[in-house]
Amino acid sequence: MSRVTVADAMPETCAVTTRGLSKRYDDEVALDAVDLQVPDGAVFVLLGANGAGKSTALKLLLNLERADSGVAEVFGLDTGRHGPQVRAQVGYVPERHDAGYPWMTCGRLLQHVAAYYPAWDHGYAEQLISALDVRRERRIGGLSKGDTRRLQLVLALAHRPPLLLLDEPTDGLDPIVRKRVLALLAEHLADSPTTVLITTHHIHEVESLADHVGVLRAGRLVAQMTRDALQRTVRRYRIELPDGWEPPRDLVVASPRAGRATREVQWTVVGEEREVTDRLTGSGARVREVTSLALEEAALALLPDDGAR
Amino acid sequence: MSYPALHQTPRLADVLREQVRAVALALRTPALVALAILLLGSALAIAEFVTGGGPVDFAPELSMVPAFVGLLFPIGVWKGERRFGTSFLWLLPVDRQRHALAKVTAGWICLMLAVLFFLVWIFVLALATGGNILGEHTVQLLPSAVIPEARTLDPAALRPIRYAPQPVFWLVPFTAATGTYLLASAVALGSRYPLRWIVGVPLGILLVSALGAAADIDWLRFLASRLLGAALEGRYGLDALFTARAESLKTAVVLSTGKTVSVWRGLPDVREWALATFLWFGAGLAALLAATARHREHRPPRRPRSP
Amino acid sequence: MLVNLDPTDARPLYLQIMDEVRRALVVGTLRAEDPVPSVRELAAELVVNPRTVSQAYRELEREGVLYVRRGQGTFVASGARGDRGEQLALARAVAKRALLDARRNGLGVDELVMTIREVAADEDTATGPSVPALNQSENE
Repeated sequence: MSRVTVADAMPETCAVTTRGLSKRYDDEVALDAVDLQVPDGAVFVLLGANGAGKSTALKLLLNLERADSGVAEVFGLDTGRHGPQVRAQVGYVPERHDAGYPWMTCGRLLQHVAAYYPAWDHGYAEQLISALDVRRERRIGGLSKGDTRRLQLVLALAHRPPLLLLDEPTDGLDPIVRKRVLALLAEHLADSPTTVLITTHHIHEVESLADHVGVLRAGRLVAQMTRDALQRTVRRYRIELPDGWEPPRDLVVASPRAGRATREVQWTVVGEEREVTDRLTGSGARVREVTSLALEEAALALLPDDGAR
Repeated sequence: MSYPALHQTPRLADVLREQVRAVALALRTPALVALAILLLGSALAIAEFVTGGGPVDFAPELSMVPAFVGLLFPIGVWKGERRFGTSFLWLLPVDRQRHALAKVTAGWICLMLAVLFFLVWIFVLALATGGNILGEHTVQLLPSAVIPEARTLDPAALRPIRYAPQPVFWLVPFTAATGTYLLASAVALGSRYPLRWIVGVPLGILLVSALGAAADIDWLRFLASRLLGAALEGRYGLDALFTARAESLKTAVVLSTGKTVSVWRGLPDVREWALATFLWFGAGLAALLAATARHREHRPPRRPRSP
Repeated sequence: MLVNLDPTDARPLYLQIMDEVRRALVVGTLRAEDPVPSVRELAAELVVNPRTVSQAYRELEREGVLYVRRGQGTFVASGARGDRGEQLALARAVAKRALLDARRNGLGVDELVMTIREVAADEDTATGPSVPALNQSENE
């Protein structure tokens, strides 16, 4: 599938820019010439199947891994050359559910990390600790996945970093806590100007929070656009077909649903609605209905549903 | 293009201070265990003294304890830290190589405090039991490089001399511990599986010595006796670092009269000790720097500025 | 003020929020000088990017529907109410949705209108009038 780009990119400053970023692990390609652009202040959701390279992208931004080629910049700083400075601007929630040292208590770890971030807001940290129900006296080694995740969120948010890199931030949390975390994130965004880059499997959760979407497929960034643009260009068409109808060529169709020899099909097609309708009617079909999709469905349309990465 | 005002990275002094606190916390349990062992040992020594045994002498250059503590210290310092991969330490906004060195330094500070505590303890014990505190005492000097066979030595061949260890030898426990600590830290940071090295190398040495002794192969025996011997007991060997060679220079010999006496084949020399220490420090620091370099920030290759 | 966002709605979120505020005005749950939730509150409640809420409020401010009292928050403007234009816009939206549904089920426009009147009449006789006529809100 060819790359889908929509020309309503803003000429604003970008908090995160990558150019030709590539990384492979032995035989597997994690990232392939990725040109990511996360505008300042955006909430950018990075989607992709498991192993599509999302976590690798975040790690490269923190200089935790070395890129094979390409450049990554955060706030204009090259991530390789200015690793520590970049990390000082970032609040990171990693994919793994481990934080700090198993023998430390939560409270002690909070003190430990606070010493590393001069921008740490102690008052805000207190609010976060009570909002996320983090018990200070508990040893980190004895925490559950959900407990650790909540601690990691406090650690990431308390110093009000200009950039949040969240790798599956709600993973391991029960549904009520997930909702609370996202509401907390919305409040955090209201209080401090922050750019957010999230990877998540629960797309519907971040639907209303996100304003930009990127889709990674097998390491390639196949789509990168605003949420509105995505919803505008991915629509579901209910089409009435004449007998012996041939679909027009290079019509980007995702998830076709129809049996054989049916008069009516329901296709999710990528492209501007007017253009697609014209192509379809031009080829002899009749468009009965066009519906827009929720973000999750629209994004899924850009991901393969054949189980491939 | 304007970007938001950047948050600061922490100052190195603050990082070091926090690392000292964290490392001290990590070592709390081993410290308690060590204290228990110390108490037990002291109790036994006092018991022996009270029942007529000898007093406790304060001879800091003779104690191998600080050196072994230095060897084991990195295990406690790096407890719970996944040094390779996505370690917690590497997520923090500090240059990684400097951060590793800061942690090693923090551990060293704790180590020096521990050695000091140990020395003061022994000093107090020696005072309490009336033992020798680095004062002058008589030693039997045997001016010969070869250790005579049992019962062949004539007591008249021994020369008693008054020997007072130079005050600078008070530093030996600290330098010995530092030397082993540097080497062990290098191993801990430089290899993914440090235990393989810590266990494997001594085992390998033992194997070579045993083979060299048992087999009749010239070069094995050479390896075992000359090289290893030099490395351990030679002029600048490990023992020079640990005890200014006081260990290896001292032997128990059975005199022709049947009495067993402790003789010295030579006396510890300050200059030799200083040079040996210097050499081992150099090796340790070089190894440590090489080890920390494995974790340095991934700098991109120099390239012309992209448009 | 109850705001419901429809994730499948094609319109940008800020427009949806604006429409919801207008709807509240028309129906009467929001009146002049009423406070509206702060950007922070509404963003947290809807789990929406605060910038989206800000944008909606800014547009409504420009249109004179809302105004900001320094230090006290955002309020409904005194002259704002559900005017005829708003009501008509709402009515059109309802009609559009109904027509879409009808078309999908193969119903023509006249059939739909006739059936609506029939069903409404049935409901009136069963439970009594439940929905106030549109022009009543003008007298509030």
